[in-house]
Amino acid sequence: MATVAIVDTDRVWFKAAHGLTDVTQIRRDPGLCSSAILHGEPYVVADAATDARALANPLVQGDIGVRFYAAAPITTADGQRLGTVDVLDTRPRKPTDVQLDTLQDLAALVMDELELRLSAIRTVAAERDRRTEAERLARTLQRTLLPPALPTVPGLQAAAAYHTASPHEVGGDFYDLFPLDDGRWAFFLGDVCGKGAEAAALTSLTRYTLRAAAIYHPDPCAALSHLDSVLKGEYQGSDPRYCTAVFGVLQPLADGSFTVTLAGGGHPSALAVRVGGRVEPISTAGGQLVGMLPNPQFVQTTTRLSPGESLLLYTDGLTEARTPDGTMLDEDGLTQHLLSTYVHAEDRSADGLLGSVEALLHRLGDGVSDDTALLALSVPIQPEPRTQEKR
Amino acid sequence: MTEPEHLLTVTPLHTPAGPFVLEVTGELDHHSAPLLAQAVKEAPFDSHGVIIDLSGLAYCDSTGITVLLTAYQRSQAAGSPLSFAGVNPDQMRVFQVVGLDQVFTFHATAQEAVSALQR
Repeated sequence: MATVAIVDTDRVWFKAAHGLTDVTQIRRDPGLCSSAILHGEPYVVADAATDARALANPLVQGDIGVRFYAAAPITTADGQRLGTVDVLDTRPRKPTDVQLDTLQDLAALVMDELELRLSAIRTVAAERDRRTEAERLARTLQRTLLPPALPTVPGLQAAAAYHTASPHEVGGDFYDLFPLDDGRWAFFLGDVCGKGAEAAALTSLTRYTLRAAAIYHPDPCAALSHLDSVLKGEYQGSDPRYCTAVFGVLQPLADGSFTVTLAGGGHPSALAVRVGGRVEPISTAGGQLVGMLPNPQFVQTTTRLSPGESLLLYTDGLTEARTPDGTMLDEDGLTQHLLSTYVHAEDRSADGLLGSVEALLHRLGDGVSDDTALLALSVPIQPEPRTQEKR
Repeated sequence: MTEPEHLLTVTPLHTPAGPFVLEVTGELDHHSAPLLAQAVKEAPFDSHGVIIDLSGLAYCDSTGITVLLTAYQRSQAAGSPLSFAGVNPDQMRVFQVVGLDQVFTFHATAQEAVSALQR
């Protein structure tokens, strides 16, 4: 019989055994393993029947009836003894010095094997820690690129969300809503190509470029053209990058509604939910992606959001998601979802619209393979007075 | 640590005195895109033209589109005709949304693309 035993404070664990069946662990009764581990060199019980050290051990007294026992300690480089490599027999034996040296060599081999395993586990754990940290940093960076909270726009409700598809791959979706200096408001939403820290850097550049462009270019298409020039300047050469985006301007009107001027650069259609529940695509089809084409076309359109109406902007993580039957959700699937869930007029608030889409994302589950940004705008049916002075 | 499994194959097909064909099969994403980027880099982009056969493409993300755009930029710079063959309806929908349906040249099959280039 032979075993590799690891000895802890309470038990002896047989991690490998030959000829010793049905025993995987025993108490730390003195005489055999528990005594052997106290010695820095091979420990021999030639005949347990006459050896006072081992006589009372259960392996000697019990059914197995061990008579002979020899063990070499498994010792770490810094001298700590973890366990023993043992040979046992039911007959008395007298091992030679050569045999005991071999036993000690076997114990050293076990130690090498353990060190190797431990080192591999440590390497894998360290690698995993580094990767987790890198993902956390990229995720944190990406989060800082989103506004911490949307501003309060008088007469308008706004809600936004960022849906993460995978904790391992940080996407580059972005959105923003901010005031212009003439009473109008601007917003944008988009998606940069790629993943990870590089995508986050591109997102940062895109977001700040669009915010700055909004001030100098009142025309939404001009803001996208400006972004196109900036991206081409930044990412020229062998590592080109692009993004898709919608850029919009909101003009409040006297009757409480808003005129929305929307420019699209390679981005899916926005969807307007009209009074009565009809879902209308506000298409900028024909608009091309930003940053990589020689003379990109951007397409502009105008619509009006009346009280009780809302507008949904989203990135393609939503429409390119797979439904359970394997097909792409697409604009049609999203429209169908909004038509079927939008039963009550109060659901048509920005919050209700966002909640409905988030429920859809939740249901699609693993079918959503990319990050998704959502921005919902709605005009409440009874707009609150522009300024409230309750004193 | 093992390399993430690449579910993409890119097969270059040289036809004598004809266009250079790149057959792209599988998932073209953030992880696998460098494989196609390298193949595009090595493609000749000469007067015979280049065909990228996407009939076996199961998935393409934004990084994949970047590589296809890089091929387009190279073809424009070199004056070498480039066309895409066998694009499935879902992928065509994605090309339409980003406006590349107006920019790229498409053919139903690689054979049709070859014929069109040799006319």
